Parts: sequence; structure tokens; C-alpha cells
Amino acid sequence: MAGLGETGVNGDDDLVFRKIATLFEPLNHKGVKLDRETDLVADLEIDSVSVLDVVMDIEDSYDISIPVSTISEIRTMGDLVDAIHSIKKHQA
Amino acid sequence: MSLFEKFEKNAALYNQLSAAGRNPFNIVMERMLGPTRAIIRGRETVLAGTHNYLGQTFDAAAIAAAQKALSEQGTGTTGSRFANGTYNSHRALEGEIANFLGMQQCVVYSTGYQANLGAIAALATPGEDVILIDADCHACIYDGCQLSGAETIRFRHNSPESLAKRLERLDPAVKGKLVCIEGMYSMFGDIAPVREFAEVAHAHGAYLYVDEAHSFGVYGANGRGVSEADGAMDMIDFYSGTFSKSLASIGGFVASNHPELEYLRFSSRPYMFTASPSPSTIAAAGAALKNIASTPALRETLWANAHRLHAAFRQLGLNVAADPAPVVSILLPSREAAFAAWHMLLEKGVYVNMAVPPATPNSTSLLRLSVSAAHTPTDLDEIVAAYAFMAEAISATQAAAE
Repeated sequence: MAGLGETGVNGDDDLVFRKIATLFEPLNHKGVKLDRETDLVADLEIDSVSVLDVVMDIEDSYDISIPVSTISEIRTMGDLVDAIHSIKKHQA
Repeated sequence: MSLFEKFEKNAALYNQLSAAGRNPFNIVMERMLGPTRAIIRGRETVLAGTHNYLGQTFDAAAIAAAQKALSEQGTGTTGSRFANGTYNSHRALEGEIANFLGMQQCVVYSTGYQANLGAIAALATPGEDVILIDADCHACIYDGCQLSGAETIRFRHNSPESLAKRLERLDPAVKGKLVCIEGMYSMFGDIAPVREFAEVAHAHGAYLYVDEAHSFGVYGANGRGVSEADGAMDMIDFYSGTFSKSLASIGGFVASNHPELEYLRFSSRPYMFTASPSPSTIAAAGAALKNIASTPALRETLWANAHRLHAAFRQLGLNVAADPAPVVSILLPSREAAFAAWHMLLEKGVYVNMAVPPATPNSTSLLRLSVSAAHTPTDLDEIVAAYAFMAEAISATQAAAE
């Protein structure tokens, strides 16, 4: 359950999760139920380049830049939510 | 946990395609017949997927120059540029390329891949500098960023506005900023607004790096690339290119007006730790460069051929990806459709490249044709006939599905 306790308990955690879930939904062809543990590549079967493209939408939504090396370490929806919080805090 | 487990998924597809004799990634040119023809699977085939834009691979002057270099300088240099692998001929070619581009400095590498890998990795330092790359940049630019270890941020393809936003977000403590784009992008054959990118980069104190691998010799009044066509040559900080397309050889280079480019010679690992290009490949590239400078007709023929194919494909109702360019790609609805279409063309004696995700932008599947100045009217007729056959088969399948 890595990541679960590491979110810094942000009040808008749920909002960020819901936002990125909407962005991934068009690629969720298997109709997987999205939660923090959903693995973007293994569960959603999205190729790595498509993940990068969704990240570009996320960057524009939150007005942040997510470095390529950070993206390549992201496995699950939860990892992505945490990365967004961490970068928002840093770039604010 | 086996080392090989990770290959299984792609290996299954690869083996299945090979068994069916339909593997686009396992093609052997059994015998070359000229710049645009080869024997593939025992059959004479028109080559329309080779990036041999100016068709110079069998140019008599280039072959003669390569043969002369081979007998005078030997088969290989057996050393890196940094040690014993720099000959007069390597230095001379660097001067000729710089001169052709109107730039001060040029450094030659053993491949185009290594030129981008080596220059980008040397220019950006982790913890200090940031690299901003167009999302659709080639793998070698991504690999250069990774090798540099510097923070790398992607911006939307061909969007100077998206670049500006990312430059504005950067921490003021960032030291150097390097922006990487390409002249012509090889998947769709679309071109970058180089001048606009240069303006945005320079307004934010960033350097602009332009990879003209596919556009060198092809775009611009003098063949200097998209940067020249867009009136931006004097705005480019770093210009990279390859010998393996319009220069019909193998090797690569980076050119610049910054005298500091020379420092790559002792700072760039892919320059220092691999053997230099063999003398014959250098001589062939040099001869091809002379032809580009002296024979604008090569470019004119290429463009006439490109326009003809582009118009023909449009007329067939195919989904052409971009405006007329030396790369003419058509988009297909799925991987399976792309495999089938690619195979149909090969059966009709035409070889093109097939590209599917994740190698393509926006998860597209496509057939990529590269036009050559050496394509004869007969070659072009055969290409159009094969595409017509394919287009009809596609619409028949679609009609059956409806």
C-alpha cells in the first residue's frame, strides 16, 4: 500500500484524483474502476507515450511542469496525485 | 524472475508476424539494385521508405571519392576522434559543413544519433540546467536528455506558446536553459515554426537547438533546412544533422556560431568513447554535400516527386498526415489496419515504413513514405498503383463492416 500514507493529507486530494481520473477516462477502454492503486500501464494498458500525453493536459490544468524523470517513476494513479501535490507546493 | 520476461509481450507479436512473413521490423534487402530498388523476398521492390531524399547513395562522384579514400586512408580509423581517429579528412568535412551552413564551428560524430546524444548530454548539467523538448522529438533527443541527467520538460508539439508557459514556470535559480526542436518531424513530415521558437527561447534567455536530420539538404533556398526556409539561420544556437539521409552515408554533426562548441571534443562521451567514421564514409558525405551545393535540381526533383505523390494519395481519399513534404505519411485507424496495408504494398512491390504506437505521436498508426529525387517516373507510377490497390481494399473492408 505504498503511497497511501504519504499524501500529506491535502484537503484537495480527492479533487486532484477526480481531475486526473477524468483525463484518463477516455483511455480506459477496459472500464477499470480507477483508484489510487490503479497501475497506469499494467491495469489500463496505456502505452508510456500516451501517459506522457495525458500528463501534458495535467500540466496545463494545474499550471505546473512535471519533469520527464518524475513521470517515468510514476506507476499508479496515487503516485501521480502525490507528484502533482509535491510539484504544486514547490512551484507555487 | 527472468531477465527475459519483460520481452515476452512484444516477442509474441514479433514472432507471430515473422512466422506469417509479415514482420515490417525484420526486412532484409537481399540485393540492392540502385537508390530506389532492391530485391526483397526474391522480388524486385520499389524502395519508398529509406530517407534517401536526394537519392545520392549510388552517385558516381560519391562512390569514386569513397573508393579513393578507402585505398588512400584505409578501411577504418580504429580509434575515437579524441585519440587517433581524427584525420585531415574529418577536419576538412567539418569545415565544409560549417561553410555550407554559414556557421563558425562544426563537430562530426560517428552517427546522427550520437551527435544529438553527445551534444545534448554535454551541454546540460544535472541540478543546474533544464532542457525543454518538443514532445514529438526523436528518441535520440530523449536519450541525450537522459544521459545528461538534467531536468527535462516536454512542451506541446510545435507550440511556441506551450514552450513559453514552461519557460515562465522555471525556478529563477536555473542556470542554463536548452530548448530542443526538429526542423522536419519524420513521422508525419510536418515542420517546426523555427523562427517563432527562436524568438520565445531567446526572450527567456534560453539556447535553441535544432535537429535538421530530415530537412538538411531538402528545405531552404540553399538546402540548409527548415531554419533557412523560415529565415532563422542566424538565430540558431546549435544545429544538428546526419549523414545518413540526404548525405547518403553514415555519421552526424553539430554546428554552431558559439566558439565554445569546440569544448564538446573533450566533454562529450559519445564523441570521445567510440570510433570515428571511416574515411570512405567521410569522403562519401563530403561528395554528397558538394552535390547539394552545386545541384539545386536534386531538391527540385525531390519536391516535384513529393507533390505528385501527395496529390495522388489525396485523390485516392487516403488520410494524408501533413502538407506536401519529403515524408508523406498516411494515417490508418489501427495497428492491425496499418500491418495489413503495409503488407499489401509490399505484395505489390513497394516498400514503405510502418509505424505504430508507442513509436508514434498521439497513438497513431501510419504508413510513412519517404520520397527520393532518384524516384523515376516509373517508380512513382508503381507507388501510386500500389497505394490505389490498398485504398480500394481498405474501402471494401470498411463497406463490408458497415
